[in-house]
Amino acid sequence: MKTFAESATSFIASQNDAASRQGAFSAFEATGLPSTTDEVWRYAPLKELSLDKFSITTSPSKHTDSAFATDLTKSAGLVIRVVDGFCVNIGDLPDGVHAESVESSTSLSGQSLVNRYESDTFAQLNAALAPSTTVIRVDAGIHVEKPIIVLNSTNAQSSFSRTQIELAKGSSATIVEYFEGGENALVVPLSEYAIGENASLQLITYQRLNASAWHVARTTGLIQRDGRLRQAVIGIGGYYNRSRNDAEFLGTGAENELRTTFLGSAKQVHDFRTRQFHKVGRSRSTLLSKGAVADESRSIYTGVIEIEKGAKRTDARQTNHNLLLSPHAHADSVPNLDIRENDVMCAHASSVGPLDELQRWYLESRGVSRPDAERLMIQGFFNEMLTTLPKELAQLVEQDVTSVLSQVNVVTP
Amino acid sequence: MSSTLKIEGLRAEVAGKEVLRGFDLEMSSGEVHVIMGPNGSGKSTLAHVLTGHPGYKVLAGSVKLDGVELLELSPTERARHGLLLALQQPMEVPGVRPYDLLHAAGASEVNLHERMIEEANKVELRPDVLERFVNVDLSGGERKRAEMVQLGILQPKFAVLDEIDSGLDVDALGAVARRLQLATKEWNCGVLAITHFRRLLQELTPTKIHVVSEGRVVATGGPELSEVLERDGYEPFRAQSA
Repeated sequence: MKTFAESATSFIASQNDAASRQGAFSAFEATGLPSTTDEVWRYAPLKELSLDKFSITTSPSKHTDSAFATDLTKSAGLVIRVVDGFCVNIGDLPDGVHAESVESSTSLSGQSLVNRYESDTFAQLNAALAPSTTVIRVDAGIHVEKPIIVLNSTNAQSSFSRTQIELAKGSSATIVEYFEGGENALVVPLSEYAIGENASLQLITYQRLNASAWHVARTTGLIQRDGRLRQAVIGIGGYYNRSRNDAEFLGTGAENELRTTFLGSAKQVHDFRTRQFHKVGRSRSTLLSKGAVADESRSIYTGVIEIEKGAKRTDARQTNHNLLLSPHAHADSVPNLDIRENDVMCAHASSVGPLDELQRWYLESRGVSRPDAERLMIQGFFNEMLTTLPKELAQLVEQDVTSVLSQVNVVTP
Repeated sequence: MSSTLKIEGLRAEVAGKEVLRGFDLEMSSGEVHVIMGPNGSGKSTLAHVLTGHPGYKVLAGSVKLDGVELLELSPTERARHGLLLALQQPMEVPGVRPYDLLHAAGASEVNLHERMIEEANKVELRPDVLERFVNVDLSGGERKRAEMVQLGILQPKFAVLDEIDSGLDVDALGAVARRLQLATKEWNCGVLAITHFRRLLQELTPTKIHVVSEGRVVATGGPELSEVLERDGYEPFRAQSA
């Protein structure tokens, strides 16, 4: 079997833009995989990560949609299929919507990917190894009615997908990025969202990978004046699930509502990172992160609100709640503030604990059994996160999460 | 069928302090018993002890519903035996919908949604409130009307109401009282209402009124007792108990 580096090198050599890819791969090789002595990787089970278990594939494997993917696409306005990182199919485009698979090494920020993600080893890997960039553009003033679904499945040992979504001035859309598959695979998606002036993107990232997958994802929202990004990130699968979600506020009135949710079971590690970077004033971020950990799983939530000097009247709020469903599960919460301006509203709160005893008693006093009461409360913990989703999607995701929850073992302290 | 709720010599403590000190009460289906008394007399403790609230500890006594000792049962089993508590401050349960709660509580799914709407209409609660999570973002009045919807669906043998009238405006109070009165006819529900106020009794006709002081019943009488309380306050009863 080829080593990771050998298969990567031969993949890169086969590509048209080999030079820029090689640059990114060299940057990766220069730093190598991070170690847990690096604060941002402190909680990751990196000792168990050996890249040589994953070789790079040069073509997508055969693929059929899963039952859930089929349900998800039923009400879609556009379906885009990405298999093993390769964009294999783009459905009929609604008016004002463009989608294509392009060779590109540029970030939506205008920088090269290599420079943009200089300190991020896995993003460098994505820059080197993503077969292409799936680009979705919505024209100015267009309101895309039905959701756009990007079905991302991994059957190979590795998958590096890259998505760039651009909403022009005054447009709006709902987009779902769905991830499945990934048995014993390394899945490293990189997504960027450019929200134009007064545009509005509702984005749902739903990660349902196999429980053996290593998933290291990064998303960045770049939000212009009066633009709005409402993002829900739901992480269920993966052995190691790392999800970094950033937002940059580039114009006044820019707004980001981010809801991240995870459910940990067995020995999973969920590692959520956020950064709300307020570069200009009167921008607003609301972040709610909620997760539950069962069995011997663990979670880390680290979020930073960064407010630039001069970004007056920024309003930034960050909340993190963690539910412990087993005495052997563990959750860490590390909210950070980095504020260089005085005239701002900023708040953060976090909690870690078991199910609320009095809520449970209330349900029991109506005749609900203890296991049912706990099940309802845990489902409720997640349902609350889905309330901002479009109704049909919320129902689908809720049903799916409920079926996962029915497998989870709850141990009351 | 007629049922009996019998509380005998009930003693209980909360946070290490004995609050119920030998409480006795017996009532039957279809009756309305009202417990009145000053703050700190043990009224709310009684409601919480009856339903097995985790913060309260029973020291002695017995609570039997048709001969079954409730104190040995879990809160779930007590409810399934036919005892339902409606709270002064019904708890918010984020993410849980009333429909799912009621279904999990044993309500049949047959026409459940329609029946809930029907119950909401009986207490003049906007049906869309039932689509919200249990008690989340509900006003005080809506919460208590929502408790009445649960009552109407679950149809307990005995309903214990812990100061359900506090913080209610006249309209809401009337709606709740009328619903309870109707319940005594509809399925012969026994109502044990704990209250500070006589207002509730204007629309809910008590079979008996019990005055509670220092953790036990110090006087029992008919509806006329509430007039005595109105005129003289609790002081004479307190003295009597000393």
